[in-house]
Amino acid sequence: MSILLDDTNAIVIQGITGKMGRFSVRDIADYGGRVVAGTSPRRAGAEVEGIPVFADMRTAVGETGADTALVYVPPAGALDAMLEAIDAGCRLVVYPGDGLPVADAIAMRAAARRSGAVVVGPNTPGVISPGKAKLGFMPSFCYRPGSLGVISRSGSLSYEVCHRLSRAGLGQSTVVGIGGDPVKGVNAAEAVAYFHDDPATDAIVYLGEIGGGDEYDLAAYAAQPDAKPVAALVVGRSAPRGRKMGHASALIDARADGHAAKIAALRAAGVCAAETLSQLVPEVERLVQPQAASA
Amino acid sequence: MFLREFEAKHLLQSVGVTVPGGTLIRDPAELDECALSYPLAVKAQVAGGGRGKAGGVVRAEDPAAVRSAARRVLSLDFEGERAEAVLLEPWLTAERELYLCVAVDGRAGGYVVLYAPQGGVEVEAGQPPTRYDVGSPNDFRGHELRDVLAAVEPDAALRESVVPLARQLLHLAASRDCVTVEINPLFVVEDGGLVAGDAKIILDEWAAFRSADIAEAIARARRGEPDLVRRCLEAGLMLVPLDGDIGLISGGAGMTMAVMDLIAEAGSRPACFLDCSANPAPQGYGLAFAMLDADPRVRSILVSIFGGATQMERVARVMTRLMAERDSDKPVVFRLNGTNAHQIDDIFAAAGLDNHATIEAAVATAVNVIGGGA
Repeated sequence: MSILLDDTNAIVIQGITGKMGRFSVRDIADYGGRVVAGTSPRRAGAEVEGIPVFADMRTAVGETGADTALVYVPPAGALDAMLEAIDAGCRLVVYPGDGLPVADAIAMRAAARRSGAVVVGPNTPGVISPGKAKLGFMPSFCYRPGSLGVISRSGSLSYEVCHRLSRAGLGQSTVVGIGGDPVKGVNAAEAVAYFHDDPATDAIVYLGEIGGGDEYDLAAYAAQPDAKPVAALVVGRSAPRGRKMGHASALIDARADGHAAKIAALRAAGVCAAETLSQLVPEVERLVQPQAASA
Repeated sequence: MFLREFEAKHLLQSVGVTVPGGTLIRDPAELDECALSYPLAVKAQVAGGGRGKAGGVVRAEDPAAVRSAARRVLSLDFEGERAEAVLLEPWLTAERELYLCVAVDGRAGGYVVLYAPQGGVEVEAGQPPTRYDVGSPNDFRGHELRDVLAAVEPDAALRESVVPLARQLLHLAASRDCVTVEINPLFVVEDGGLVAGDAKIILDEWAAFRSADIAEAIARARRGEPDLVRRCLEAGLMLVPLDGDIGLISGGAGMTMAVMDLIAEAGSRPACFLDCSANPAPQGYGLAFAMLDADPRVRSILVSIFGGATQMERVARVMTRLMAERDSDKPVVFRLNGTNAHQIDDIFAAAGLDNHATIEAAVATAVNVIGGGA
């Protein structure tokens, strides 16, 4: 199994005629994902790589049975595109774009909760269940099937880490980019809950950073007696206070936002916490192969 | 974007919050034409916190004191920023000083209301404010906030004033793309009314496309930056200048921080946080090199990109072109990987460039080449 995404998802790409849409049609299909439709309000009736383009989501879903949306729409139209996907009945919606106003992210999250849909993003490469399907633009060669559930606030960091894990023989059940914005469709606590319920996930790897409170939600999970083993990396040890490090929520304001406080809280909860990238794979190995690591 | 106090109070007033009637001056010479009553507060208008502790708020009893205080606060340096204006407000006598804030909060999945019965500059040092997690603005319930307040605020009449004020702040935040609307101190005046003593509003810069206020605040902040920094920001690069000697050109915020940490661990320091992923084109990378080449503190440049949406054969071609055109002796160290990475080696080999296999190896080279390291 996996979470959120497998080879049964029927994918529609909103904004399929744009540069990213065209790239993803082929990239997702090459990975074995089922792209069944695209939308473009002005290009209905066209085809992209043999995939039919519809004017709107209701038609796309009605004609093809799509149940999953990948949204490549600029920020000014992104909330409406996501609401359209949810209203058309999609159960999973990924919005990779960054620059979404936070008020729109709040409206997006509220709409998803009302309908029972899952929205991943904004500001994420998406979701991949290695060996089954991908829904986003992460580089496929970084992943291999396995039993680690990976959650990341950062896209490129997740490629780097999964590449290292895969080379070390540590495959992944699903990798979900929860994104770098403060208000997320799926936050760390919710992603952890999905992995907790997934029988194919034996352990959780979390890639976090300074700022925001997701790492404390992760610690709260890890402290529970029935929690799955958790390893984590927190980046930003060298970041100055009071400056936003690219991501909207990567800002040290209070002490709890900082690297040292997060590492301490994670370790107190029993998480194998890495202070830098180089330490992460050894921490994960310690987690999944305790005998080998202590030998 | 951090608004100055007078701008923040203007927004508060627009949704019906009571603010002290103030006078804004840009030059002490304007004082001749102001009818003022004393005592009053002379307040430097800067877009940053910590103003009071830095001496930017002064009490003045008469016109001569106002004049000298205005001159002084206009000459102060607030972490690199000078005040362009001074706000003169009546010095209010408060029965109490409270803290009230509406802010975006990830764990609330939207907005949170924060309240502390004792406001002022020490609020960060005291008990953390009480939280009411609202989430979506439509989910605000006055009765829920009233229950939350009851645990920390014994004055029932005051609670009844705070609840509607919190709703006003939430309305302002949600309708005008504010990520923080904080009133600290919130004065309780003699008749029990609430008056915003200070105001801190941070606007969501991602909403600039639908807000002239935000676009203007961004433009104003950029005007204060050095020319090349401003051009990098205008080109969509995420840039935070730091004070180390390794120029870092990177992609993705988390990966950039991870590499900064490795540079620090190798005994050196990054000259910047610089995430070019929003503009992975000749223009974006060209500006990044131009800025780092021109900065005398930067002694080597590390290019670290693990691209997903960014197709790396294109980046490799851009880099070979930029290296051929560049007029600088500073060493450049590459570590490129990601989508279409298998094409990088051939492109680099034809141009005589090296690509490092791991980020640790690239960091070591960038540090060793300048004789740094632990």
